[in-house]
Amino acid sequence: MLRRIAQQLFWAARYLERAQWRARLVDVNYNLLLEVPPRDADPWEALLAITGEAESFGAHHSRADERSVVNFYTLDRANPSSIRCCIETARGNLSSMRHQVPTEVWLEINRLYLDAMSWPADALALISIPGFFTTLRERFYAIGGVIQATMPRDLAFDFIETGTMLECADNVARLLDVKYHYLLPRLEDVGGADDNRQWATLLRSASSLEAFRQVYGNAMQADRVVELLLFNGDVPRTARFCADRIASALARIAGRYPESEGPDVEPGRLTTLLCGSSAAAVIHDGLHEYLLDFERECAALSNRVAAAYMVID
Amino acid sequence: MDAQETGSVLPDLRAVATDMPIVAPMNEMFDGAGHPRPECSRVASYLLTMEARRLFELGERAHQMFQQMGVTFNHYGDAEGTERIFPFDPVPRIIPAVVWETIEAGLVQRVRALNAFLADIYGEGAILHEGIVPRDLIIGSPQFRHAAAGIKPRDNLFVIVAGIDLVRDADGRFLVLEDNLRTPSGVSYVLQNRVIMRRLFPELLRAQQVRCVENYPADLLAVLKETAPRDTRDPVVAVLTPGPYNSAFFEHVFLAQQMGIELVEGRDLVCSGHQLFMKTIYGLRRIDVLYRRVDDDYLDPVTFRPDSLLGVAGLTAAIRAGNVAVANAIGTGVADDKAVFAYTPAMIRFYLGEEPLLPIVETHLLRDPDECAMVLRDLDRYVIKPTGASGGYGVVIGPKASAEELAQLRARIMRDPAAYIAQPVVQLSVHPTLTRSSGEPPRLEPRHVDLRPFVLMGQKPRVLAGGLTRVALREGSLIVNSSQGGGSKDTWVLENGCSAG
Repeated sequence: MLRRIAQQLFWAARYLERAQWRARLVDVNYNLLLEVPPRDADPWEALLAITGEAESFGAHHSRADERSVVNFYTLDRANPSSIRCCIETARGNLSSMRHQVPTEVWLEINRLYLDAMSWPADALALISIPGFFTTLRERFYAIGGVIQATMPRDLAFDFIETGTMLECADNVARLLDVKYHYLLPRLEDVGGADDNRQWATLLRSASSLEAFRQVYGNAMQADRVVELLLFNGDVPRTARFCADRIASALARIAGRYPESEGPDVEPGRLTTLLCGSSAAAVIHDGLHEYLLDFERECAALSNRVAAAYMVID
Repeated sequence: MDAQETGSVLPDLRAVATDMPIVAPMNEMFDGAGHPRPECSRVASYLLTMEARRLFELGERAHQMFQQMGVTFNHYGDAEGTERIFPFDPVPRIIPAVVWETIEAGLVQRVRALNAFLADIYGEGAILHEGIVPRDLIIGSPQFRHAAAGIKPRDNLFVIVAGIDLVRDADGRFLVLEDNLRTPSGVSYVLQNRVIMRRLFPELLRAQQVRCVENYPADLLAVLKETAPRDTRDPVVAVLTPGPYNSAFFEHVFLAQQMGIELVEGRDLVCSGHQLFMKTIYGLRRIDVLYRRVDDDYLDPVTFRPDSLLGVAGLTAAIRAGNVAVANAIGTGVADDKAVFAYTPAMIRFYLGEEPLLPIVETHLLRDPDECAMVLRDLDRYVIKPTGASGGYGVVIGPKASAEELAQLRARIMRDPAAYIAQPVVQLSVHPTLTRSSGEPPRLEPRHVDLRPFVLMGQKPRVLAGGLTRVALREGSLIVNSSQGGGSKDTWVLENGCSAG
């Protein structure tokens, strides 16, 4: 496989995963606000913090309200990380290497792209915002499904998997970090109704609320949520789940090397961070620092993969 | 860049036609009395019993399918939405088996002679010594590549892939309009059009017994492997594209996908030790054959344009060393030069000792004083083409030009007659085509068509059954260029014995 192709597959996968996470986050926040208006912590500000885009948002908007943030994340053609732009970038990458993925995968992604191009400029022009996100989520599941169902377990699949899982791991960490750091600034609120509701929302963003209840029952507790989202390797969209898949994809890539000596990228500290710790320990030592460390590791691993397999001199 | 690639799949039909008919054009589906021709009777009755509205809906469905499949071409100078769909007309064009047999034989004969010509002029130059083709015309051609002299492609096959543009005159004769021997494009539309037609008219296709086209990628890969310069059991072949901004990029992706080989850009390649490699995730991998869709000028910055980023430095040396082959070979453009075109019947006689099976559109070289004088006498009856340009640039259609334009043209010709050729106006055939002018119900109307068949030359020749039929969708228009309302049709070559529907 060409290094350029590996790079394009990897980033197409990352952008699709990013778009999917944007959709999850916006959707869940929107739904959260339908019932009880926020008291003081503004969830839309928090959302901008999660994705690390408060600054780029601020460059174009004076106020973070529902309409401006939903537009920013979803429809904004000027925001390269908006869902529309992510889809466009992923599809653009893929269109120049259609020969590397099954036609069904291309058709599904192109279908989403054609839809995205016809979306309105303003979310208020959507017939139904919840309906929009429901359809969107189904489309992302369809793409994930067709990838699983049609792609040979080859290099193309491994690079898509690596890109998807790295982006996902990074997003899980950001999600947790924001809840812990920004959403609930007052200690006396911990364990209260709002607190629990926010944790439930967070789990729903990661489509993990039902999994949480199966594992822990109904008692919402911060350390349990942290444990699930970071350390449970059985539930999709947890840090451990992603790290395991990254490790196996990288091992498969290295294992396909025709000779014995070849580039070999190992997840290294990303795995160590997840294996040697417990929720209690990381909370005790400072969850925010731990998560920052984890996000840095994701970025470092991404760079190592690029250096080994993608950069063209 | 080369008009064969960027100027699209679309020739300059305006160069041979006019909307002021001197004689009525041939209608390919109906005879002079309005009766369907025998080979078209089944399709004609099918279409005539179908409501125009229904046919229109099928056309719209085809459009959606192309969009969903992402079958698009890139259009330059178009700010928003650079991806466009090459318009598709759902009414198929039918070519009976017996007619196709002659075309096919004529095409093979023609490409054989052109290959012999290229081997000759980059080798011993017999045809130049004999004075059959003027030496200065060849050596002075901007498409003659001194770098190609002495390079011998395997089996002397310079042209592996040829697209030969044919038009049909008022008498129904197929004539060669021009040869495309560099990087002819459009074959992906032939294959995709058929995919669409299978969905739109499955029962009609089955009833007609149409020859299939889907073997093309396998045939292409086979002839590419045959050109490998060294004996490897399984030569590595890659498609070289200028990249996503090229107008034919979809086709490059499509062919790589269909052949199951890598699609490379210049930056994916490196030459080392006179060998060509691609940069894979596991290191360098050797390439034996490059199916290049990049013009000569951009292929190797060492030999050709030094500013080109589309090729790879050292490629020409690697070819010369016999370590890699490119298809088509370097320097084939000299054989599809507009002035050299006039000599193609002579080439067929010289190299093959045969009479041409396919006539060419009569071509006058204005470098010849007698011919020049003759053309200048009746300038308004000819189509004048500059020899050095392609893609329809500088073409003047005499009958449509103003007195002032003709006067300017006359002055230019007299200043440099060798820079022009003249051809008589050919009345292109027409074919029923679905029209969709706004505010009116859709109808079938005659529209001008041409045909670009594709010829593959390997150890044996392989001709794609049919080819790309291009149609000028606008009334009276003779321009099939997609940016000006041109489109395409599926071309149905019937199996033997099925011509009488």
